[in-house]
Amino acid sequence: MGSDSPAQYIHLVHHLIEECMVFNLSKEECMEALSKHANILPIITSTVWKELEKENKEFFDAYEKSRGEIGSERECPITQMRPKKILLDSPGKDTVAMNED
Amino acid sequence: MLAVSPLRNERENQIQSFSMEENNEFPEFTTGNLLDAIDFDDFCVGISNGDVLPDLEMESEIMAEFSVTAGEEPEMNRENDSGKNEKAATVSISALDLGSGEETVSKREKPIAVNKIADKGRKSSKNPPGKKKVKVDWTPELHRRFVEAVEKLGVEKAVPSRILELMGIDCLTRHNIASHLQKYRSHRKHLLAREAEAASWNQRRQVYGTPAKREVNPWIAPTVGFPPMPPFRPLHVWGHPSVDQSLTRTWPAYVAPPPPAWPHHLPPLPPADPSFWHSHGSYRFPTAPVCGIPTPVPGLCVVAGQTMPRPPSDVHPSKESIDAAIGDVLRKPWLPLPIGLKPPSVDTVMVELKHHGISKVPPTCD
Repeated sequence: MGSDSPAQYIHLVHHLIEECMVFNLSKEECMEALSKHANILPIITSTVWKELEKENKEFFDAYEKSRGEIGSERECPITQMRPKKILLDSPGKDTVAMNED
Repeated sequence: MLAVSPLRNERENQIQSFSMEENNEFPEFTTGNLLDAIDFDDFCVGISNGDVLPDLEMESEIMAEFSVTAGEEPEMNRENDSGKNEKAATVSISALDLGSGEETVSKREKPIAVNKIADKGRKSSKNPPGKKKVKVDWTPELHRRFVEAVEKLGVEKAVPSRILELMGIDCLTRHNIASHLQKYRSHRKHLLAREAEAASWNQRRQVYGTPAKREVNPWIAPTVGFPPMPPFRPLHVWGHPSVDQSLTRTWPAYVAPPPPAWPHHLPPLPPADPSFWHSHGSYRFPTAPVCGIPTPVPGLCVVAGQTMPRPPSDVHPSKESIDAAIGDVLRKPWLPLPIGLKPPSVDTVMVELKHHGISKVPPTCD
């Protein structure tokens, strides 16, 4: 992989974790992604994640919190998949008429 | 437009009353050696301030020079260059005065003038005794004292005479202070306006965080890693030209664009980034690198309170984009961290891994 020393490797994992966090992944999702795309042992990802969490407690707290909000959305996604629902809820009834199937 | 030759003669004869015929608007306009001490700084200031330079004094020696060497341009230049530079440089003249004078003596004086201007930046401490108006060299130290005095009095309320008192520097005249004050105020306004703009842009980005839950807004969506933009600019030592230069230069490296331009359509990023983006294309929104500003960012998230600025997450993030992001980091490990979290302690990590049976990092038995 090109990372010679443990420190470099850990830094790399750290970097990768941050990238995943940009995508709002959970720790588990991150472990999976890094294992799949970067061949990083999940245990390593997990360990680095935990250590990062210790060092950046506040950030991780906020991260988890916001993820929690998103998570609930994901369970009941109000997305384009259900346009009718959205449109019905919205004030613009005209568009509803046009878009309904 | 004034003819040059008659002027020259006139000047020799009536230097003091030179102005009367030619320059109606400038009663005190004394001579062509105006050019010698073009003080561009005073260009706009002196006039609008109501502090039009009243005391345009002439260095008698220079005048003598003119009369003596009226017909000898080269010599004059030489002389001026070598011996008179300091003196000339210390004469400061307002723009208005300058304007007319220039025409009259253009042919002869320009070369000198240019030199003199070049010397403008030099110290003013070597003032020739008495007659001349001193051109102030606003050193950082001097400016600092000025700013102190102004802030003590209150920027809006600061009056040159009071400032002068507070500064307690002999070589400064009220006029020097007044013109400097005007420049300072306008500069401040400019900076504050820019900061306000940047702050509002920052806020706009945060606002996007909430409604953008369901929108894919790759360009504007606030990323977790976005550093607070401009407020790092210190309001300081602007007066000194060289300092301004250096300020401008350090900026692009930092976060923001050079002072005059303010591109707020795209998040300003250091040069490395555009290529970073391009390698991904669509979904990958700009992850602003935190160039050496790790701490503010988590703070940013926390301070933002309820809403942590986050990437578009209506649909589950596509695996491809994650893969792309990961690949990118692997290929370019030197890229800055998107969030900039405080790194974990390597030792602790190693110890932990050992507990889990991993002694080699990176693990070789993959």
